[in-house]
Amino acid sequence: MKHITLSALATACASLVLACATLSSAQAAELRVLTHSSFGVPKPLLKQFETDTGVKLVISKAGDAGEMLNKLILTKASPIADVVYGIDNSLASKALGADVLDAYTGPAASRPSAVALPGLVPVDYGYVTVNYDKAWFAKSKLALPKTLDDLAQAPYAKLLVVQNPATSSPGYAFMLSTIGAMGEEKAFDWWGRMRANGVKVAKGWSEAYYTEFSRNGGKYPLVVSYASSPAAEIFYSKEKLSEPPTGSLSLPGGVFRQVEGVALVKGGKERAAAEKFVEFMRSPAVQQQMQTEMWMFPVEAGVARADVMKFAPEPTQFDSPEGKDIAEKGAGWVARWTKVVLK
Amino acid sequence: MALFSWPAATRLGARAAAYLPVLVPAVFLLVMLLAPALRLMLQGMAPGWFGAPVDLEASGGLAWVTSLFAPWQDAYLRGRMAWSLTQAALTCMICLLVGLPLAWVLARFEFAGRTLVLRLLMLPFVVPTLVAALGVLALMGPRGLLVQLGGPDLQGTPWLLLYGNVFFNLCVLVRAATESLGQVSAARLAAARSLGCTPWRAFWRVELPAIAPWLMSALCLVFLYCFSGFGLALVLGGQDYGTVEVEIYTLVAHELQLGSASVLALWVMAFTGLVAWTYAAVERRLATPLRADTVPRQSPRTPLQWAAVIGCVAVLALVCAAPLVAIVWRAAHAGAQVWAVLSDEATLQALWNTCRFSASALAVATVLGVLHAVAARRSLWLRTAVFLPFVVSPVMVGFGLLLLYPSWTNSAGLLVAAYALLAYPFVAKAVASALDGLPASYADAARSLGANPWRAFWRVSLPLIAPALRRGMAFAAATAVGEFAVSLFLSRPEWATLTTLIYQHLGRPGAANMDAALVLACVLMLLSFAAFMLIEWPSREERRDA
Repeated sequence: MKHITLSALATACASLVLACATLSSAQAAELRVLTHSSFGVPKPLLKQFETDTGVKLVISKAGDAGEMLNKLILTKASPIADVVYGIDNSLASKALGADVLDAYTGPAASRPSAVALPGLVPVDYGYVTVNYDKAWFAKSKLALPKTLDDLAQAPYAKLLVVQNPATSSPGYAFMLSTIGAMGEEKAFDWWGRMRANGVKVAKGWSEAYYTEFSRNGGKYPLVVSYASSPAAEIFYSKEKLSEPPTGSLSLPGGVFRQVEGVALVKGGKERAAAEKFVEFMRSPAVQQQMQTEMWMFPVEAGVARADVMKFAPEPTQFDSPEGKDIAEKGAGWVARWTKVVLK
Repeated sequence: MALFSWPAATRLGARAAAYLPVLVPAVFLLVMLLAPALRLMLQGMAPGWFGAPVDLEASGGLAWVTSLFAPWQDAYLRGRMAWSLTQAALTCMICLLVGLPLAWVLARFEFAGRTLVLRLLMLPFVVPTLVAALGVLALMGPRGLLVQLGGPDLQGTPWLLLYGNVFFNLCVLVRAATESLGQVSAARLAAARSLGCTPWRAFWRVELPAIAPWLMSALCLVFLYCFSGFGLALVLGGQDYGTVEVEIYTLVAHELQLGSASVLALWVMAFTGLVAWTYAAVERRLATPLRADTVPRQSPRTPLQWAAVIGCVAVLALVCAAPLVAIVWRAAHAGAQVWAVLSDEATLQALWNTCRFSASALAVATVLGVLHAVAARRSLWLRTAVFLPFVVSPVMVGFGLLLLYPSWTNSAGLLVAAYALLAYPFVAKAVASALDGLPASYADAARSLGANPWRAFWRVSLPLIAPALRRGMAFAAATAVGEFAVSLFLSRPEWATLTTLIYQHLGRPGAANMDAALVLACVLMLLSFAAFMLIEWPSREERRDA
């Protein structure tokens, strides 16, 4: 016993020394990058950036994009990062309103891009929409829904799982698309009918996709996910599939185009390095590689689509309220949604 | 040099030794827990902060009082609060009713594989929430085994959460009860029997009172876990059966409504604090010195006894092992190319991180835990304070730390401290219980022979409480290995642990990701089990020597 206690004490001292060493080494020039948890740029590219620029990257993943922005707003007085990636068009107005971002006007900001994101430098974009389980629909002989109204009808009762907009970015995006398409009153009327029709609410994307979606053992054959999810299903399939087991339904009024961007953090240090990082996110190599890491489309013109992305057709129609409205009424909409669908 | 007055030095040492146990844990709790939570609450109360409730902003002072009762005026929040209390109380009841007979069988009978059963019991405790939920759903979900056997589909009902709660917490009660039943005085039990007590009456009048403090402590822990836990409630309870902690998390992390969240957190703290305080008071009153003459375990002989043993193992397998077996079974069918994930650079890095963070956290937790337990002998308040890490909402602490120490949020020191914060109550509780059981005369004897308090503790008390210390450390290590505390702060990709890696895989679509998560979950189970075995293993031999 005695030497167990002794060794425990010794380890405690050692870890203390380790912690101190970590702290003192933090004095070197570092660029603090804040991202959401889905951030995925291949390690070799990050290493390359460090050698090319002489900047050490300290990347912090701060949870879901909404959670990340709130952490940024909360620590406004003493920012926890110098540059932030992952704020999208559903959050941009809130970020700008809270005054936590600084404008960047370098080459990447003025170069043409596939999509725009006012106040930030756009990096990638994708679509939040309803996905379906092909096997389930083949077996049940039920026709695929064609409109959002279909989903509120009896044949589609208890088939759809959505994410709670209060705790999930795709859930929030999907709610915004319905409001953008139908207007607030009609949208919440639809949500009320969806509740009566047995819509299932999950906390976040993982819970919805991996525990509720019938493709993964749940009982709901329709799930809110990304238009690129079928492509990812092919990419991460065990036996090489020639056709995705899931498909995306681009129901009118049920598609949200999500544009993610990068921005300088107001009050951040290492301004020059932060600007280099903005350019880095728009470099062809990153734009190419992140397609199969984050499953988003590149915004930079002339960057080739990854091969597997041919299984991710782009919806032609999408809806969203005005950015100003999202900033002003977003929280109110979430509260109303909670009341209509959950309470 | 010889003139250096060493008695004075020992006096100084003695005084330091007297204050150290109070000071170190108190400072740690203040810096890591109370200050961050208070800081966040103050932010929530600050006028002009747009997350604050409107009425609070308008009229200042008095609105404070009314907004304190706001959760009770809102039917939705009242429902959440009531459900949180109900599911915690129900879980405690089920755990006690199911766990006590199981523990009695495990404590009184010797059979092949008994030790293994006791150790395997720890596994549910260390599995990450989402993975455990996958296991539970594989068993009782829409396509689960239960449904295939003709049973009801429990998804979307409160029973799923209750089962999940029992799955996670039964081991806490069974282990505590088994441990304490092993310390019941054989002489008293024999006396009761020879005076004509039936075994049932002897259990009721002799054994139960003797193990009551341990049962209380375990039930208290179960209650706190269920009441303030939110991961499990989110996944298994869904949106309909979420707990108050889910509400706090949503309000802070996603809606930035710090004012409303603070009010809710205060109510949760009031409830859990009351439970913790009651427990501390009861435990101190019930504390009885440890008996040296423990009841020997016997081999089951009669058919009834055999039936009890077999039944016990069967129930444990059904409640605690089945979801884990489901995970292992699914992982085993994942195929070789998925298992190749084990040689990924990311996996190896995560494995190393898990080991290194857990080891550091365990070291810190052990020191803190022992010091706190020693200090808690003197004060009921300190005894209650052991539960603070369970009482204060982790979400409030996590965001408070960000606010209070923005420049530290990226440091490994804070990360390890956070792990230690969640792990050390296990050490402190186990050691405190053992110290209660120590006759004061041992330490007094050492003192009268000239040992200072520090030396008396080191040479007399510590060796005697070693088994309890090991048990506490094993629980702490298992918690640290499966812990997901990092998510509340900022996690750096190079610090990814096995748990974070599992969540990462589950954050992307595709069958290969799902299978990789299951395979990694198996590795995690194996690792925490190994840690548990390594720490607790020698304690049995030691007790046999005693």
